[in-house]
Amino acid sequence: MSTTTAATTENDTARSDRARAWPVLLLAGAFEIAYALAVGGSQGFTVLSWSLIAVVFFLLTLFSLSLALRTIDVGIGYAVWAGIGAVGAALLGPVFFDETLTPVKVLWLTLIIGGVVWLKLSDSPKQTQTEQSAHQ
Amino acid sequence: MHWLYLALAVVFEITVALTAGRAQGFTRPGWTAATLVSGGIATYLLSQALLTFEVGVGYAIWTAVSGVGIVVLGALVFGQRLDWRKFLGIAAVIAGVVGLQLSGAA
Repeated sequence: MSTTTAATTENDTARSDRARAWPVLLLAGAFEIAYALAVGGSQGFTVLSWSLIAVVFFLLTLFSLSLALRTIDVGIGYAVWAGIGAVGAALLGPVFFDETLTPVKVLWLTLIIGGVVWLKLSDSPKQTQTEQSAHQ
Repeated sequence: MHWLYLALAVVFEITVALTAGRAQGFTRPGWTAATLVSGGIATYLLSQALLTFEVGVGYAIWTAVSGVGIVVLGALVFGQRLDWRKFLGIAAVIAGVVGLQLSGAA
């Protein structure tokens, strides 16, 4: 810290923020899966254990997503986060609960999840501008 | 009734997206509180919907329709452009939800 100039320190901080943002975003996606499963398992918040887990992961997913979105573009970040959450909940729902994943469900769920991921990726028009200003 | 709960949960999830943007990384207390309260209400309504919907199905519809709502609201209220790529995404989500419903999986 004392041997580097203020400008270099600032650059290093920005770079390590960007490097850390992606693992944090993936973590937010994992938290979102846990949140979805816990909300389902809470049976309308009548089961205490699942309800508490839901509240914890609700705070964790919100906090980690906001942290990741400080450096990652909102459209891309939201697409990755929502995609991981939805695919994870669909795949793990049958593991934890009395649910089935039939080919018909997989087909329509793929369309829904693919649709929203595509939509969010299309919703980041200022991506190049943001990158340019970040390099200045 | 489960569709109504899910629709209301979508409304509050859209509110979460709008308020979270203004909370600026949860540095502004008022908007942070608004985000947490909206998220809490959305979560409760989702839990009511998931009493009937399977978790994977209900959650996917909830998060995808919320995503569509945010983009549509952005176009209607904040004047953001809706191009063919966005229309394609919106159409896919709607087709998927209708398909799930008609196939009896939702």
